[in-house]
Amino acid sequence: MSMNRRDFLKVAAGTSGGLMLSLNLTACAGTPTGYSEETGSWTADAWLELTPDNQVFFTLARVEMGQGTYTGLTTLIGEELGVAPERIQVRFAPVGKEYINPAIKLQMTGGSTSVATSWQPLRVAGASAREMLVGAAARIWAVSAADCKVDDGQVRHPNGSDALKFGQLVELAAKESVPDDPALTPRDQWKYIGKSRGRLDALAKSTGTAEYGIDVELPGMVYAVVTRPPRYGATVASFDASEALGMPGVLDVFEIDRGVALVADKYWRARKAQRALKVEWNTEDALSASNASVMAFYRKSADEDPGVNEREEGDIGEAFESASRVVEASYEQPYLAHATMEPMNATALYHGDRMEIWAPTQAPDLGRIAVARVTDLSPDEVDIHTTFLGGGFGRRLTQDFIGEAAEVAYKVNKPVKLIWSREEDTRHDLYRPAMLHRMKASISGDQVTGWHHQIVGPQILDWYVRNAAPAQYPWAPKFLYDTLGKAGLMGEGLMTPKDTSAIEGAVEYPYQVANLEVRHTHCDPGVPITWWRSVGYSHNAFAVETFMDELAHETGQDPFEFRRNLLQHEPRHLAVLERAAELGGWGTPLAEGRARGIAVHRSFGTYVAQVVEASIENGAIRIHRVACAVDCGPVVNPDIVRDQIESGVIFGLTAALYGNITLENGEVKESNFHDYQMLRNHQRPDVEVAIIDSNEAPTGVGEPGVPPVIPALGNALFALTGKRQRTLPLTA
Amino acid sequence: MAISLTVNGQKRSVDIESDTPLLWVIRDELGLKGTKFGCGAALCGACTVHLNGTPIRSCSTPVSAVDGQEITTIEGISGSTTLHKLQQAWVDHGVPQCGYCQSGQLMTAAHLLSYNAAPTEDEIKTAMSGNICRCGTYSNIVAAIQSVAGSEGEA
Repeated sequence: MSMNRRDFLKVAAGTSGGLMLSLNLTACAGTPTGYSEETGSWTADAWLELTPDNQVFFTLARVEMGQGTYTGLTTLIGEELGVAPERIQVRFAPVGKEYINPAIKLQMTGGSTSVATSWQPLRVAGASAREMLVGAAARIWAVSAADCKVDDGQVRHPNGSDALKFGQLVELAAKESVPDDPALTPRDQWKYIGKSRGRLDALAKSTGTAEYGIDVELPGMVYAVVTRPPRYGATVASFDASEALGMPGVLDVFEIDRGVALVADKYWRARKAQRALKVEWNTEDALSASNASVMAFYRKSADEDPGVNEREEGDIGEAFESASRVVEASYEQPYLAHATMEPMNATALYHGDRMEIWAPTQAPDLGRIAVARVTDLSPDEVDIHTTFLGGGFGRRLTQDFIGEAAEVAYKVNKPVKLIWSREEDTRHDLYRPAMLHRMKASISGDQVTGWHHQIVGPQILDWYVRNAAPAQYPWAPKFLYDTLGKAGLMGEGLMTPKDTSAIEGAVEYPYQVANLEVRHTHCDPGVPITWWRSVGYSHNAFAVETFMDELAHETGQDPFEFRRNLLQHEPRHLAVLERAAELGGWGTPLAEGRARGIAVHRSFGTYVAQVVEASIENGAIRIHRVACAVDCGPVVNPDIVRDQIESGVIFGLTAALYGNITLENGEVKESNFHDYQMLRNHQRPDVEVAIIDSNEAPTGVGEPGVPPVIPALGNALFALTGKRQRTLPLTA
Repeated sequence: MAISLTVNGQKRSVDIESDTPLLWVIRDELGLKGTKFGCGAALCGACTVHLNGTPIRSCSTPVSAVDGQEITTIEGISGSTTLHKLQQAWVDHGVPQCGYCQSGQLMTAAHLLSYNAAPTEDEIKTAMSGNICRCGTYSNIVAAIQSVAGSEGEA
């Protein structure tokens, strides 16, 4: 029985979420499809290759930046294939349409989408290959496939004693029909999903052998550093490289799109020579904003423009008119840097007709566009090799570092590694936008009757579509890139998805309040911004959950009971809220000088509630404990879920205590970890995470731990001091 | 200048400018990529190696300052076939997330156990406070150290 083209198309079309067997379509007629005569290996689909010596290779299309795809997605395919995940060898995917993230329509890792979008297709892919292997074994033994069992890389004969290893079956399995509707393993028979079985990348990352972008080494490689304008938007007026060019090892100095590149034979020589480089900047179009001017601009915009009504229910005007009391508050939140531990870097090799890039990137298909923009190459003449990422948090969705490395390699004709310094990484980041929130609620008796939320600030696709739109049309000629970017902006909601980055977490306000409106005043002060772990939820949760706390106090209610009463119609919110309160000992006596705060927030489909226990000691905020409850649907690996929620807590608390990028006349003042601080081990609270058992569709956990912890801490500080803090970072 | 070092028990020599940070010598001249660049200013601990058994920040240590001395990197703390007991604990506790800071964390932890075989939780937190982990793996780091604290002998 041979597999034909129609079978493949049927499978490709019949499964949602990107299962494509297009690799197999290239096989010649008459040969077993997906089977290589040369190697004896079977490429079962876009993700799986099985070899005659029993190796299983899994192509991981979502990058590993700490969030656990390397383990989680391998577990999904291993479960259905019938191979222990630790025996599967993981490869990072090249750019390919079969690896596009169906939730984003780009080959992108972000938005806590990896498990949610891979859950079905990877299990179907594994099950499909498994059924073909079983079919092959059954044919050899002349028994019914239904009576055979799969057990960690082998098919067992119905007699219970004979077995054939997958490697012995690959050639025949490749000739089996691709099953129309492979049977997925029922939940009660899962061997690997739902179990804490360790992280598959832990050994490499504990021995220094995991390869990150910065570790890529090519023969004859040289090093580049780039001097960028201190004020965003400034351009090179002139530069004097005479002294730098005379320094040891310096090979070249030239202008690139973003500044002046200096190339040397060693990284340290490049850095030293960079100090001797003198650059004058044109600053007519340069950013001149300061933190104060940004907030003043937001306030003025908010006064002048009530914004787009993103959600309206009941009659908000009537609610305010008939209210016995109206409560108002404004919240201001600062720009935040990503501060990945691995600074931005990329390695580029120009072959004359192709460019190869090695980089820690969250969006390799956008990396191709970045290269195409600065060279004569088309996107399909660019190969992107993705490495492990030393943190991502959204920063590596923007491909500026790849563009710079490519521009330098294109000029010098040698393999080039570009490394940003920590100072450059902090000052030339694209930031979590500063935001203003104006809140207003009407109260009658002890009931909240109206909720008005005006979000004031920019949205991220404005900064992102320029590169993302061409990546969605990789066949488009380059002269159309800017048009595509502009069309993408104008066609928001039609050609490109609606940009919810400013309103997410606010527009889904979950509490039962009869009259509400959520508005967005769209205004952009021109400071570069991008996705930052949990994106809009990060600032909207602070505004919503702090104001809810204010309303609880205004109406004389316990902040937990107040939320609980208004969430009776939202069972998943309610379940995490109650579980977190229980775990955090809500209402039970506290050690002297301590207080608790609570918050609940749904982001990326995942529900998280947190109770923070804090005190002020020696004039500093001390966080003792964070109790978390999470509902993310079925759990692939409980340890990773717990670790990701805790990771989000540390990330959120870092922002709550320290996060603040200071602009002065368009320049970022912070530079390194002394003035852009991170929470450290001795400051860490005890974090406990309870996972709610769930049969809903699975959702991600990389980001949802972040949003509620910031208001929960602020609410604890209010309980402690009676002083409400409406700006971040929080102070003692 | 000509520099001689003993790195992970092997004699190595390089000819390089005296102010080159040890980090770039280890990574680019000696090809040991396990030691990471994080901040370049001795603030984050990602570049931690041992100088004669004591942790230093290799990103801010000029190579001339360690001429003739003994350096141990993440590649040198395990035996040829066995893991350092802390490395095994890191695997068992699933400590690394992005993993980028973990070489430095392990070098600091290994030094802690070398002078304090059974540290308390507070002693561990204090000793580890110089190593930033942006993924926030701190509690697993402490648990992994505690799991081997007090056990006999080095791997």
